[in-house]
Amino acid sequence: MKKLVLLILIFGVMGVVSAHEADCPYCAEKIVQNTDKQDNEVVVKVGNKRIEYRCLYCVIKDQRRYKGDLVVYAPSEKVGSPVVIKRTGGKWVGPEKMVVLNVFKKHTECAALSRAFSTREALDAYVKRNNVQNAKALSLKEFIELVEKPVQK
Amino acid sequence: MNLLPSLVLALSPPAWLDDAGADHLSVMPAVHNWAIQRLPAFARDMHGTGVGHAMAYEAMARGEVGSLETATFNRIDRVLHNPPRNPVDEASISPTFIRQYGALEKVFDWAHLLHFQTIDVLIHPGWSQARRDQEIEKLWRNYQSQPYALTGLPMNMEFLSSSPYDGAFRRAYPKVNGLFWGYHWLQTAAYDMLYEIEPRDQIPQYVVLGDQYRRIELYRTNRDFMPMTAEMSPRFSKRFPMIANAFDNLHMLHDNVNDILAQDWEKPRKQAEVKAAITRVLASTHADEEPGEGEGLHDHEHVPSVPGMGKMKGSDGDIMFMSGMGWMDMSRCAHCSIPLPEETATVSANGWTMVVRCLACARDMAAETPGQAIIRTRIQGSSRTLVMISDEEGNWQSNIQGVVFLEQTGEHPECADWSRAFATSEGFDAFVRENQISGASPLSLQSWSERNLGRPPTYRKIDRPNPYGVKD
Repeated sequence: MKKLVLLILIFGVMGVVSAHEADCPYCAEKIVQNTDKQDNEVVVKVGNKRIEYRCLYCVIKDQRRYKGDLVVYAPSEKVGSPVVIKRTGGKWVGPEKMVVLNVFKKHTECAALSRAFSTREALDAYVKRNNVQNAKALSLKEFIELVEKPVQK
Repeated sequence: MNLLPSLVLALSPPAWLDDAGADHLSVMPAVHNWAIQRLPAFARDMHGTGVGHAMAYEAMARGEVGSLETATFNRIDRVLHNPPRNPVDEASISPTFIRQYGALEKVFDWAHLLHFQTIDVLIHPGWSQARRDQEIEKLWRNYQSQPYALTGLPMNMEFLSSSPYDGAFRRAYPKVNGLFWGYHWLQTAAYDMLYEIEPRDQIPQYVVLGDQYRRIELYRTNRDFMPMTAEMSPRFSKRFPMIANAFDNLHMLHDNVNDILAQDWEKPRKQAEVKAAITRVLASTHADEEPGEGEGLHDHEHVPSVPGMGKMKGSDGDIMFMSGMGWMDMSRCAHCSIPLPEETATVSANGWTMVVRCLACARDMAAETPGQAIIRTRIQGSSRTLVMISDEEGNWQSNIQGVVFLEQTGEHPECADWSRAFATSEGFDAFVRENQISGASPLSLQSWSERNLGRPPTYRKIDRPNPYGVKD
């Protein structure tokens, strides 16, 4: 835990975002940049690398390319306060109250519709503000199981 | 821009284009010939590109374009997965193509021999870099001595790709076009893997590049434009801009020919268009012309800081669009956007190669990119070019045991001073003493690998639309 807090402090100071605006390694769509009002860039830290993805779904779909442990900084409802989830020894762990929204149909929408939130209330507020249809709050475990199914999103 | 047809009509093709003859071209006799076989995996992939070219051209010449994306692609793919150990005579694979387009095959063969022989020089063991440079100059003179030689002048790539039929092949046959551009990726990326690098340090790089080629580059169908030599091998292209230009002109000729052969035209018209395409890029067509001069077909303007690359579509001075990277200023560091010094480093990852100011920029740029990466740079205290290769997780290995790093973080306009590598700690100590750098201690490779300076505050993204209009 101490190590995780240290990582957050380090990256909080340096910024976890990359210098270059690239395409998502999984879906090849442009990575949506952070704004003053909302963070969008999902950052995966693996070893000495930190790779940007477009959404949490893309990270989980692409996770098998990495052998080591992962730390994922998923943008939350609050700017500068990502939901930090970890894959350690192949097992995913996140904050107890975190929930995930995952209702996109096409990857052009994935950055807005596959997101993590620190609480259920934050997800509900996001859904209401953005008029998201068919929204469901998934636990991290439910989300990963859903994504790992071969076809279904 | 759509100037090509009218200007083409004004050109007179040289007489030999109508009578190619049956004389076979051969390599210039030299001790370095076939040194490529010292890198067996690379050699086999290179031999495979010849087979791939020939199979596709034979199918097109036989009017079997309908099979290109299916049976022909599959046949080529099988060869690329099991490439030949030795070069294959393309005439034995594409007899119909050679009967119909013998002069074109001669132009291709002559340039491909230059490819192979320059590669051989860079692999042949025991020579100093000065000797290698001399041999490459000699090969270039030999290449230019034949009428089949392509010009070493930069050509306006927008002009050469402005015919009404441009892009027909890649739109109709994206998979086979992807293979062609994959071969050209390999042929252009290879030079910086080899140039100023000792043969013992070449093989480990091909483990990375060969995997990228076989797994990714051959099957990319989303490139905006063909790979350019100076994009893929900036160090070699800086030293030999005329050769980089000749290879780009060769690859553009391949694209033009593919577009012509993809048309639903009678054979005589295709043959006439192919002759015109050859004539446009022959050295004889541009004799006595100079880089940066002329207009239209004779526009030899180049990206100012890159003499080995003709003007690209939409380019504006040093600012040009690089497929997969977006708009880049070629005179500035790809990571921190500060102008490049004379001595630079390069970083290769995910199929691209970028020039950067310092090792911190190289490392941090690689750290943002999925997959393995290669950094190359000259360093103090060693005649051996530093070659570092990282794994998928950014753990670096160096060809120079005991390499140490200075990283006294400061502002990026001075990053080439505060981020450096040294072959020995004695070299580090001497540098620190001479430059009166206080409090600096040498970083081991592992400590250096674990650092990351994040987004340089000087980085400036150039935000313009994609000139190729393929995607934003």
